[in-house]
Amino acid sequence: MSVQDTTTREIPPLSKRIGSIWKYLMRFQSYFGLIAILIIAALLSPVRDGRNIFLDPRNMLNVVRFASENGIIAIGMTLVILTGGIDLSVGAVLALCAVGAAAFMMHYGFGTVATVVCVLAIGAAAGLTNGFVSTKFKIQSFITTLAMLSIARGIATLWAGGYAIPLAFGDGPDLAPPSFKALFAGEVAILGLDIPVQVFYFIGIGIIATILLKRTGFGRYIYAVGGNDTAARLSGVNVNRVRVIVFGICGLLSALAALLHAALVNQGSPIDGSGYELNAIAAVVIGGTSLMGGVGTVVGTMIGAVILSILDNILGLLNIESEYQAILKGVIIVLAVVIQQRRRY
Amino acid sequence: MMLEIKSVSKSFPGVQALRNVSFGVQQGEVHALVGENGAGKSTLMKILSGVYTDYQGQLTLNNHNLTLQNPRDAQRHGIAIIHQELNLIPELTITENIFLGRELYTRLRTLDLRRMDQAAAKLLTQLNLNIAPNRSIRSLRVGEQQLVEVAKALSLKAQLLILDEPTSALSETEIEHLFQVISALKQQGVTMIYISHKLDEIYRIADRVTVLRDGEYIGTTPIDQISVQELIRKMVGRNLNDLFPKEKVTPGEVVLQVENLSLQSDTRESGYALKDISFSVKRGEIVGVTGLMGAGRTELLETLFGIHSPRRVEGKITIAGKTQVIASPQQALKAGLAFVTEDRKNQSLIVQHSVGHNMTLAAMKRFLLFNFIQSPLEKEAIQEMTQKLHIKTTGYHVPVDTLSGGNQQKVVIAKCLLTQPEVLLLDEPTRGIDVGAKAEIYTLISQLAKEGTAIIMVSSELPEILAMCDRVIVLCEGRMTGTFDRSDVSQEMIMEAATARQRVRVEETELEN
Repeated sequence: MSVQDTTTREIPPLSKRIGSIWKYLMRFQSYFGLIAILIIAALLSPVRDGRNIFLDPRNMLNVVRFASENGIIAIGMTLVILTGGIDLSVGAVLALCAVGAAAFMMHYGFGTVATVVCVLAIGAAAGLTNGFVSTKFKIQSFITTLAMLSIARGIATLWAGGYAIPLAFGDGPDLAPPSFKALFAGEVAILGLDIPVQVFYFIGIGIIATILLKRTGFGRYIYAVGGNDTAARLSGVNVNRVRVIVFGICGLLSALAALLHAALVNQGSPIDGSGYELNAIAAVVIGGTSLMGGVGTVVGTMIGAVILSILDNILGLLNIESEYQAILKGVIIVLAVVIQQRRRY
Repeated sequence: MMLEIKSVSKSFPGVQALRNVSFGVQQGEVHALVGENGAGKSTLMKILSGVYTDYQGQLTLNNHNLTLQNPRDAQRHGIAIIHQELNLIPELTITENIFLGRELYTRLRTLDLRRMDQAAAKLLTQLNLNIAPNRSIRSLRVGEQQLVEVAKALSLKAQLLILDEPTSALSETEIEHLFQVISALKQQGVTMIYISHKLDEIYRIADRVTVLRDGEYIGTTPIDQISVQELIRKMVGRNLNDLFPKEKVTPGEVVLQVENLSLQSDTRESGYALKDISFSVKRGEIVGVTGLMGAGRTELLETLFGIHSPRRVEGKITIAGKTQVIASPQQALKAGLAFVTEDRKNQSLIVQHSVGHNMTLAAMKRFLLFNFIQSPLEKEAIQEMTQKLHIKTTGYHVPVDTLSGGNQQKVVIAKCLLTQPEVLLLDEPTRGIDVGAKAEIYTLISQLAKEGTAIIMVSSELPEILAMCDRVIVLCEGRMTGTFDRSDVSQEMIMEAATARQRVRVEETELEN
């Protein structure tokens, strides 16, 4: 068989071997990044009563809990970026959905199921609109979703009447069902640890998205569209359909993140989720997904989200102002992209 | 010697593009460089113009070592190249293009438009080109654009001018004009390297000719001391029969029937890119389509494959007895067509994706069960194709751009074959492939025809068309200007049909009157 008839391999010179080790490191940049930041965080962490606060299981659970919300959005963002697009509206759609969730329960008396269905529908509709407008009118998704950012936030503000809608849980009129809180902000006791439910959503979505990408025809098409949309089209892939659906999924996942967010902070506010697009894109990029499309993984993005969460956490533990966090995050995003571009050559 | 190329080698992943090439170009001569696609001509020219800097070997210009860091360096040394694809900015004017990056300024540091326009006008007159320098490039004909490139080279005081297939898009009168310019430049002492496929042109204007084959230097001779046959033999390096293993196949029933197919020109231009094309292809038959650049060869395949907006397409397509409406590549594939595009890297392959994934993309549905990929089935198909087409790769998971051009092309063909097409459309199937791989592709095409696939092959290389095709369709300005049977066709007959546009035009004006 011709696959095996490769020429005999010589031992490459040292410079080349170092090159290939470097390449290997780059290939799994997100994993090594995670290990590095874990070690640095553990070393820098304040110690109280002889216990490393950062490594405390409860703190670690917090890290993952806060990674989850951004992580879920970032998984949707990964799919969009894999097709060569971008979605800047995720934070605004989250705000719209969070306000929607609060309004449905507090103002319209919806139950948990009805609220969840309606909120997810709103998110998906916003995403599908992004996709439809981008493909139908051939507008770059950067612009379409920037417009959606503005529109979604506008609607959210109007709907909420300019203020946050607080969620009060309990049985009775004008109260939100407690099952909502339990479903999206509860904890599950496993092996003596109270695991936040967000973590299960995060991991569950991660697994589903990975299967979608790696095991289904649709996943193959997502990579193909981002890799070379002309070649994909000439191979019979309905490129526009793939793009629209991917934006729909991204909107849907923003809506899911909105449910988690509203349940956690007990309110739905039109200013929720500002800057989330940056966090999501950062997670995707740190995870090694190419902004050009066609190359990347969901696992990488999940690790990227955890890395960002660790960063927030350790800087918080060290009492460093959030302004510095923002600056550091920006620097890390640029570094991740630089490493990625190096990797290609 | 004005320019000396000494032991120059250059390799790309999977291909040795140039192997130890040495020859010299004399002051003031027109030096033709010939060779088949993939012989290494373009690579050598890119080295001479400073595009590729990582090569082995040495260049000297007027007995001084020449090391070029970038294309600008080449310009500074008086080397200018006119590419097959023109490097002009269509939105800008002639003057702006000529002076791009070296604009003239007034004392107030504003652009000195008048001085630049005057200089540009002078250059245009020198080239016998009667156009205002403030016209935009977009409004010019291809031949005129080419001369603007020449003007730009002259304004750079080029002493060495490289012309890479300059006539491939030109009409006869434009070619005449260009040749006049070339002789005039030669009088002025400009040295030229002229790359072309068209041997008759070379015999008209060149002083000496150098042949490259498979990246190797074959020889340099004064043009009046070598016959056409000898030149071709040097280029091809073997008998045509060994290169083209066409097997005799008795064609079966008609698979594809095309009636009055027309394609309207896009955008502002009125008229047709293709007009009233009718032909049919039988099972096992190879039909060649040829013509000059811009004749509508690629457009014909694209129209069949549903790439153009259905609003621009008229006519009737019947495949295996069923009339088909093909409005998208998706429908074309479903109807039983498969398309190997001319531009592998941009249109057929996803270069950073694996060999396997590229192969199965078009036929994905075959491997799906409830939208889940059945990996064993997919792997089996990939292995089968790899063996059948003798694809040389280190594995199915390696990125397809690590393969050589020939093997990449085989991956594209494998992708098409997995869709089990009735009709295979091939657009320049051997472009950018070295000679050995070419022969393999020809064998493959021949074998597919034998297995009963109907094949339409577009090619600009007449030897390829003559050797491989049962029938030849010649296009000119979107019209069919000739169909020939294998048994009674010659290169001259094809060329005559391919340049019949003047005749077409005369007929049209007669009709209008």
